[in-house]
Amino acid sequence: MRAARYGRLLGVQMRASAMTAMQYRVDFLIEGAMSLWWLGWNLIPLLVLYRERDVIAGDWDFPSALVVIGWFTMLRGILEGAINPSLVDVVDRIRTGAFDYTLLKPADAQFLVSTSRFAPWRVVDVIGGVALIIYAFVRMDRAPSAGDVALALALLASAALVLYSLWILVVSAAFWVVRLDNLTYLFTAVFDAARWPVQVFRGAWRFVFTFVIPLALMTTYPAMAVLGSIGIGTALLSLAGALVFGALARALWKLAIRNYTSASS
Amino acid sequence: MTVAARTLASIRATPTLLRVGLAEAIAYRAEFVVWMLTSTMPLVMLGLWTSVAAEGEGAFAQFTADDFIAYYLVTLMVRNLTGNWVLWQINDEIRRGLLSMRLLRPVHPFVTYAASHFASVPLRCVVVLPFALILALSAARAQLTGDPALIALFAAAVLGSWILTFLTLVTLGCLCFFIEKSMALFEVYMGVFAIFSGYLIPLPLLPGWVRDAADWTPFRYMLAFPVETLLGWYDRGDVLGLLGRQWLFVGVMLAIALGLWRAGVRRFEAYGA
Amino acid sequence: MIRTTELKKHYRVHRRPPGLAAAIKSVFHRKYEVVPAVDGVSFAIERGERVGFLGPNGAGKTTTLKVLSGLLHPTSGGVEVDGFEPRRRQADFLKRITLVMGQKQQLIWDLPPSETFALNRAVFDVPDAVFRETMDELDRLLDLGPISSKPARQLSLGERMKCELAAALLHRPTTLFLDEPTIGLDVSMQVAIREFIRAYNERFSATVLLTSHYMEDVAALCPRVIVIDKGTLIYDGDVPSLVKRLHPDKRVSFTRTGPIAVDQLERLGAVVSHDGMRVVLQVPGDRVHDAVVHMLGALPITDLSIEDPPLETVMRELFRASHQSRKSS
Repeated sequence: MRAARYGRLLGVQMRASAMTAMQYRVDFLIEGAMSLWWLGWNLIPLLVLYRERDVIAGDWDFPSALVVIGWFTMLRGILEGAINPSLVDVVDRIRTGAFDYTLLKPADAQFLVSTSRFAPWRVVDVIGGVALIIYAFVRMDRAPSAGDVALALALLASAALVLYSLWILVVSAAFWVVRLDNLTYLFTAVFDAARWPVQVFRGAWRFVFTFVIPLALMTTYPAMAVLGSIGIGTALLSLAGALVFGALARALWKLAIRNYTSASS
Repeated sequence: MTVAARTLASIRATPTLLRVGLAEAIAYRAEFVVWMLTSTMPLVMLGLWTSVAAEGEGAFAQFTADDFIAYYLVTLMVRNLTGNWVLWQINDEIRRGLLSMRLLRPVHPFVTYAASHFASVPLRCVVVLPFALILALSAARAQLTGDPALIALFAAAVLGSWILTFLTLVTLGCLCFFIEKSMALFEVYMGVFAIFSGYLIPLPLLPGWVRDAADWTPFRYMLAFPVETLLGWYDRGDVLGLLGRQWLFVGVMLAIALGLWRAGVRRFEAYGA
Repeated sequence: MIRTTELKKHYRVHRRPPGLAAAIKSVFHRKYEVVPAVDGVSFAIERGERVGFLGPNGAGKTTTLKVLSGLLHPTSGGVEVDGFEPRRRQADFLKRITLVMGQKQQLIWDLPPSETFALNRAVFDVPDAVFRETMDELDRLLDLGPISSKPARQLSLGERMKCELAAALLHRPTTLFLDEPTIGLDVSMQVAIREFIRAYNERFSATVLLTSHYMEDVAALCPRVIVIDKGTLIYDGDVPSLVKRLHPDKRVSFTRTGPIAVDQLERLGAVVSHDGMRVVLQVPGDRVHDAVVHMLGALPITDLSIEDPPLETVMRELFRASHQSRKSS
């Protein structure tokens, strides 16, 4: 029953977002074009790298690196399309005090806040990412198995969960520190490192990108899954890790709300 | 007010503007941390290229790991010192109608913007210090030039770089007068900047035509030029020549910025916020 | 049914003295002090009452409303609304109340209010039939007309406020917390909103707790007022008694049709204004009767009227008195 209700709510929110997006029709086209631009731009460092080398970090050749970029693009589409817009909205609401209205509604505040705004044109990113991956496989002259694809999608979902949880953590911080306007830039900047297979990094870097900011989880592992080279143990660990991270983020969010309602005016 | 009177007023106001700007910058501690974390791209690149270099017998296209370390750390420092968020600020003020307040002052808005952003440079120096220390203590410091004249020219280049970056961002900000969601344009700018300024990848590693094209853009002089100077890639004569070109760009951008601003403000006053 | 018992809400606030040195120091070490926004307030409001909540800026009115609606946890003291403890923010509680903040808006900026209505309907889980019925009534009472289909950013302040009210009430709450709902509106719109609130209160037997800077709004709408100053309650009762207690003088105004000597006027009472032919006197309550009889009998006047002094004057007197007593205690 509650699931149905929240499902309906999600539908209403998405419709409102789509309508808001339609208000700025020219932007729609511009943003779509931008997605394509970024797709091309993202390939530049890769091209520079593979001009000199055939393989990096042991076994990452050009097509497999392309797969990583493909997942990166898809995930970026999800980040910019479904996560960032709400983040900007919420931080703004906290600043203006309109967030109070969110707390007055008899629905979970985290849900309301996460679904408040979408950028539908970002679906171009998702399509572009898929296209890149397909191209990479064409170049490799093979196709992934159904199991590999399923596992990759599961890992993509857990990557989205991790990204979303990171966002919740950041927004929770916004309650304490009211002015955090450049958050989206922060996210994009940090996330940018995810375009590289994590094995490329050495030592401390690799540790940071696997455990502290789990970028490895987000793009490298789904890529390895669809390429058929991920160990099942690693995959399961990542899924579990994502769930734990999600629970952590929710706990912090609730703490932040408790604090907000006791310490603000 | 006459132009002379306005200029005098601007000069008199500057110390106060600077002081207030610094206080403002200090007031938002968390924003500072966020901004600091935003400039991590060179570090990621550093991680990437040093690994790649290590794999390939110590070098990637004549760049050793030390070369990369020196390049990216200096890039990080210069970028942090010269970067600012005036573009975002202008966009915000136009959207929310706050620009009207700024226009009412007898000082040209460029001065007030510049003052408040320049005032944060001391703070940026503090932030940059750890990286400078790391560089100074690592083996990569051998990559830096030891020539005091070049170092002095480097300082001049950084100053020119700051002004050029500021003016370019202000020019982009002016586009907010004419285009509804100009932040998309900013993204394009960031992408183009990252390539042509050597921020993402050192210019010598890019194809020849990219390098040649970069020479004709202000981007090269916003970042690559000071960085390459400190790394000792040029002799004094070359640097002076490049410095001249940098300031030429400053002049050009100033003219464009002023013109665009005036047109934009006229439009703003006609249509309102 | 709203009840508070010794409600207290204290804030920790960071104070920074001016100057650059202090600014740098504050990066590393911040000093906090405690601000008592609400300091021991107790009152009880029955179902269906309309109560005005008055006080100067910073008195603690908005803070109290926020505690009552569950947005803030009290530092200490008891709060009960409709049998619920607001701080727990249970869904059933939230469906029965509404908080309208005149200075903050909940309408989605780029979309027509009808979209916000649809969203709220989904969030509050209002059945279709009830929703239609409520919207029709609100439409009628607020005279919404076609404005709910224009994007919110294109509406005037008054139109937006009407839509805000509709959005806040479409789930038929029985307890209304209104924080400055008419701020910034012109007089005719203020009257319209006031009438709407009265109509809603009568139609749905809703309890209304209203804060406003516009004393006339409050006096016209609310039979009972609670006055807060610096976090403490200094009056709880009806307006006429307040006026009588504080300002037993009455304002007597008339138009003179001939000359009247100044000392004759001053014998009757203090002259508030003497504008051409129109005179306004302030006369102590117990002498009003005799003064008026004398005026009508002996002086050349017409258009005589007797009024209470404006509520503004009364309130200012009340705050002055409370400050005096605070200083002496």
